[in-house]
Amino acid sequence: MRQSAGVAQQREIGRLVDAFRHGGMSRRAFLRRCGALGVSLAAAQHLVGAYTGAPAAAAGGPRRGGILKAAFSADPAGFDPVRGPSGMSHVVIEQVYSTLMALDPDAKPYPELAQSYKMTDGGLTYTFNLRQGVKFHHGDELTAEDVKFSFDRLRAPKSGYSYGAQVETIKSVDAVDRYTVRFRLSKVTGPFLIYMAFPGSSIVPKKLVDSGHDLNAKPIGTGPFKFVSYEPRSAIKFQRNPEYFEKGKPYFDAMEYRIISDITALTNALLSGVVNFSNEIPPKDFAKVKASAGLTAVTLEGSRYNWLLLNNTKKPFDNPKVRQAVSFALDRQALVDGAFFGLATPILGGVVPQWNWGYADISFVPPKGDLAKAKALLAEAGYPSGITGVDIGMTLPSSFPNIMAMGPIVQANLAKAGIQAKLGTMEIPRYWDEIWSTSNFGITMMYWLSPLADPDDFVTNNYHCGMAINVQKYCSKEMDALLEQAKSAPTVEARKALYRKMQDLSMQDMPIVPLVNGWLLIGHTSKLQNYRPMRTGFLKTLKDAWLEA
Amino acid sequence: MLRLVALRLAAFVPTLLATSVILFVAVNVVPGSAAKAALGIDATPQAIARFEHDQGLDRPLHVQYLDWLGKALRGDFGTSFQNHLPVSPELLTRLPVTLELAILAFIVANLIAVPLGAAAARSHRHRTDQVVTLLATVMGAVPNFWLATLLILTFALKLGLFPAGGFVSMAESPLRNLSLMIMPALSLGIVSSALLLRIMRAGMIEVLASDYIRTAVAKGATAPRVVWHHALRNALIPFLTVGAVEFGWLFGGVVIIEDIFLLPGIGQLVLVGIINRDYPVLLASTLTVTVAVLTANLLVDVLAGILDPREVYARPRT
Repeated sequence: MRQSAGVAQQREIGRLVDAFRHGGMSRRAFLRRCGALGVSLAAAQHLVGAYTGAPAAAAGGPRRGGILKAAFSADPAGFDPVRGPSGMSHVVIEQVYSTLMALDPDAKPYPELAQSYKMTDGGLTYTFNLRQGVKFHHGDELTAEDVKFSFDRLRAPKSGYSYGAQVETIKSVDAVDRYTVRFRLSKVTGPFLIYMAFPGSSIVPKKLVDSGHDLNAKPIGTGPFKFVSYEPRSAIKFQRNPEYFEKGKPYFDAMEYRIISDITALTNALLSGVVNFSNEIPPKDFAKVKASAGLTAVTLEGSRYNWLLLNNTKKPFDNPKVRQAVSFALDRQALVDGAFFGLATPILGGVVPQWNWGYADISFVPPKGDLAKAKALLAEAGYPSGITGVDIGMTLPSSFPNIMAMGPIVQANLAKAGIQAKLGTMEIPRYWDEIWSTSNFGITMMYWLSPLADPDDFVTNNYHCGMAINVQKYCSKEMDALLEQAKSAPTVEARKALYRKMQDLSMQDMPIVPLVNGWLLIGHTSKLQNYRPMRTGFLKTLKDAWLEA
Repeated sequence: MLRLVALRLAAFVPTLLATSVILFVAVNVVPGSAAKAALGIDATPQAIARFEHDQGLDRPLHVQYLDWLGKALRGDFGTSFQNHLPVSPELLTRLPVTLELAILAFIVANLIAVPLGAAAARSHRHRTDQVVTLLATVMGAVPNFWLATLLILTFALKLGLFPAGGFVSMAESPLRNLSLMIMPALSLGIVSSALLLRIMRAGMIEVLASDYIRTAVAKGATAPRVVWHHALRNALIPFLTVGAVEFGWLFGGVVIIEDIFLLPGIGQLVLVGIINRDYPVLLASTLTVTVAVLTANLLVDVLAGILDPREVYARPRT
């Protein structure tokens, strides 16, 4: 039923593309019709680009003015790149500061503060030529010294930087001249350019910080927006940086980030016009946003994947066959439909999403699962009549609605295969303390949004021995070796092949069971033009967007 | 009168200290670790240890308490675990929001309770009384967060009369401030009016049956004059005591209501303090609520003394 709907949708899109190509339809009409069919804006714009040979641009020219008011559910944890450990810090940091590289909507790195870069020594040296005349918000010019300072600061032994793994292979950073900076690496680092685009790698003003300025209280960078104020747990205000190095940008006069921790209140704020942008619409409310006049609803597959953790050190999940049986027992299509209202992609193989170059086209499990196969695997593992007499606790964090919605479906799927799990819930601080960090579970569930679009970030944290989120306690020398080789292989082709192997192995060992990839759900005023959502969930591209009068 | 105020003030300080001990212990025995809540999904044991050391959480509880108390007495409530900013300035910016909400809700509650309670008392055991009593039961049974959601659905999302949430200060725009405050004040006020209404009604029934009222009626005073001039003042005394408790309850009720209506007040701070196990924030905000409730009680005792001089000579209620 769903598949035939998918085929019909494909046909309809094909028809639209034809109409557009032959001039029978305006660009805007085309984009709108694609949106109505559930095609994400980025994908639709990609189609436009593909058929016009030029990047998509909205009708009418850019317009200066207006205030973008965006809603977020989390409170930031500081604005100093070296301190901000949270995703919410980063969506502020990325507006105020700039990085050597930046990511485009499809997460490909391009030079930002750098004008160009050169990789030499087989990937051990990177030399960046900086843009000239870039001004910090307090007036000083950005130079190579600031770049060196910023990274030395992150690399300092007691810096407390939460993403130390990103800078650990940097051996030295040298300011060659005022506008040239050279990084020497201790080993080839595949994701290095992506690390350079990470908000944590933002360039801070050396002189100002040396003089004792607290970037946490008042962040100062070279980004498109100047930081104005932060009312804790309530709002962050920005104003346009008129001296931003991309001339004429940004277009909004100001931005306000409203913090609305209750997700229903967040949707209400968007529906009633209290805010005019959010990329955190919960799946349950997305149809309401879509149907609301004056609002545009956009979906994009990012990297927010949900997975099932099986305790690899405890019976019965210490047996890979049992873990595979769990994977086959699950009806991922039911999870997509029941918990995500259709706004997710079932993960049938490895966790790297299809849009990423590290994707491996593996269909290890069918979308609706395979109960017979699950039972056969259980029998092979020595449980011909299902798993009985073992207390399998499945405690879930109650603060994550999508996980709570998936819980009962997973439990029912497992029961059909003969695995009885006891469902429980716990609020998040207790959950981190009593379940997660102590690996005190038989089964649990988690999700995260990878802030980096490098395959390494999708897999290493979950599959490498000893990582903080590998609380299923999976350790395999073979897997570790593959992950390390894949991270430091010299070419993308070589890395791709290794991630393929790694994802194959992840299906055999099945230390975690990938479930679904929940789409980014964005709602914004229809006056917002030329906004290109990013796969990473970041909002850097807001600098290119404008509000119609 | 002065003696009463002095006695109440003398009880204020030990009450506050005792509350602070209870709060401190409660915050610390609640399951869940502050470090893990702050560091989240990929907290390493090293990061957790460093966090606990940096925040002094690895010290014995009584040392932590005395250190906290010493600073709190000087107005320093520490820095938030979550955003690393000092808590005290935030309390000051948030307190007016909550105060305004509590006062407006209190006004709403009284505007409903006093006339309806008096009207019900006047028609004791008749139609109006029955309708009002039923209404009070319904209003008292409705959870304020449910009423809040209903108001948002109806007046913000359907009719578009008021914004669904947010805050603008009175100084910035009084009109906008009130348009944002009206729904939260109604959700709190309507629910809390139920109890006040019953007290008002009961007090008024008792007073209306007393001798001096009969005298007033016999002297030919009109019915409204009897109720509003003669009876109200005496009926207000029990009402005020309950009102003070109710005002404290309103201060507690703002926790969820502020979150629903996106009001940056103390209640919201209590909530995020709990969710994040942000001890400095949680302690400072709950203590602020305590101070507010104690102050309201003190004021009511003084007011009751003014309304009924006998109160001054009676032993202070505890």
